[in-house]
Amino acid sequence: MTRRLRVDWPACHGRGLCHELLPEIVELDEWGYPIVTGPVTDALRADAETAVSSCPRLALRLVKE
Amino acid sequence: MNTPPVPYPDEIRVHPGPALLAGIERGPSLTAHRLQYGDLPRVDVDTLLDLVTGVGLRGRGGAAFPLATKLETVARRAGRSRRPVVVVNLSEGESASSKDSALALTRPHLVLDGAVVTARALRATEIHVVLPAERALAARRMREAVAERSGGPPLHLHTAEPRFVAGQSSAVIELISGRPNLPVTSWRPDAVSGLDGRPTLLSNAETWAQLGLLALQGGAQYRRRGTAGEPGTALLTVTGTHRLPQVYEVEYGARLRDVLPDAAAGAPALIGGFHGSWAAWPTVASARVSVPGMRLLGVPLGAGVVHAPGASICPLAFTSRIVAYLAGQSAGRCGPCLNGLPALSAALDRVTDGHDGRDRLDELAHLVVRRGACAHPDGTVRLVRSVFAALPGEVSAHAAGGCLRTPEELAS
Repeated sequence: MTRRLRVDWPACHGRGLCHELLPEIVELDEWGYPIVTGPVTDALRADAETAVSSCPRLALRLVKE
Repeated sequence: MNTPPVPYPDEIRVHPGPALLAGIERGPSLTAHRLQYGDLPRVDVDTLLDLVTGVGLRGRGGAAFPLATKLETVARRAGRSRRPVVVVNLSEGESASSKDSALALTRPHLVLDGAVVTARALRATEIHVVLPAERALAARRMREAVAERSGGPPLHLHTAEPRFVAGQSSAVIELISGRPNLPVTSWRPDAVSGLDGRPTLLSNAETWAQLGLLALQGGAQYRRRGTAGEPGTALLTVTGTHRLPQVYEVEYGARLRDVLPDAAAGAPALIGGFHGSWAAWPTVASARVSVPGMRLLGVPLGAGVVHAPGASICPLAFTSRIVAYLAGQSAGRCGPCLNGLPALSAALDRVTDGHDGRDRLDELAHLVVRRGACAHPDGTVRLVRSVFAALPGEVSAHAAGGCLRTPEELAS
């Protein structure tokens, strides 16, 4: 089953840590908010879990599609 | 708070109609209602599901989601430890829409009957009714109707905040929960996990009134109106050239232009409200009131709002005003909406003023869409894109420094 990062938009303040930890699938828009560009592959799974647990706003979740 | 481009009405003109609005001249009292329709039957959830499925009833709040799917999900998730909840959403935050207020004014008991018959079928022990902030008369009439009733699950009243996004379903559930009336991220559908994590059936007033009528009159009677593929009626709010908003009930399959005033002829119209789409006159003139039919035309019916301002109003300038208003109505909690809508508004102003800005508009639309907790950014982008898709002639006139709608241009 594919997993994807989902942003809790009202919680996100655009700190950008997710992009630092997971540049492969998280870019930042011109205001600093994350743009998730693809699914979380098995190779990225551990980094994605770190991004979720490290978000200072707890604004990321790993969801099944 | 910024001013809406179509003002909230103090008064609404509600026209009698074939079903929901039949007999409204007898007044909104419970006595008149019971004389017309009889007592509300008790039905179990399977019977109710059969009724709803049999007529293909869809939600009337804008998304036209099949009600049977929601009802079935709530019924399946409900249990002794997870009592379902019924929510009647009358908040109608869009000033160009007045159909839910029209029902509150003329048919409050049809709305409440729909909620009560469903709550009983689902064994729900509470019904929440969310009233509009900006429409005092409709809210008062609804309060009076609630006070007239006895028996049935308790009806809890709430008043929405005066804000465009306050009526979004997650914002309504926040309000009932005692938190700020603003959208939040929904991780699961309300029907699965809504108020306090309980299965929640939330619909707008027209959906509940349609369901009330269906329970009171039965499926055979309901199917006599509309078309074979799309039975029943729909409520439309028409604004633009009348002094008061006009609310009509029409059968599915009816010609849309039949409810428009002569002054609307020949000019573009905005269909589906501030989150809707512009249509050129030939499209408006050929449209029949239908959920799938109007989707095919590229102008979804949404919540039934038709703003037809006539030939003297510039749709670009008017859209600029709407988008400026919508940018100001953002709850301001989702970054892409908070930053993106004002930027989108500025870019559209530039195009309206005859400057080059189309690429920037496309870029911003892409940055805003599907990046928020509610439908507000997506709806705003739909409106902006529709101008370019449906009215290219108006756009090129502005790019050339003119406008098809100014008196000088019309004269030359």
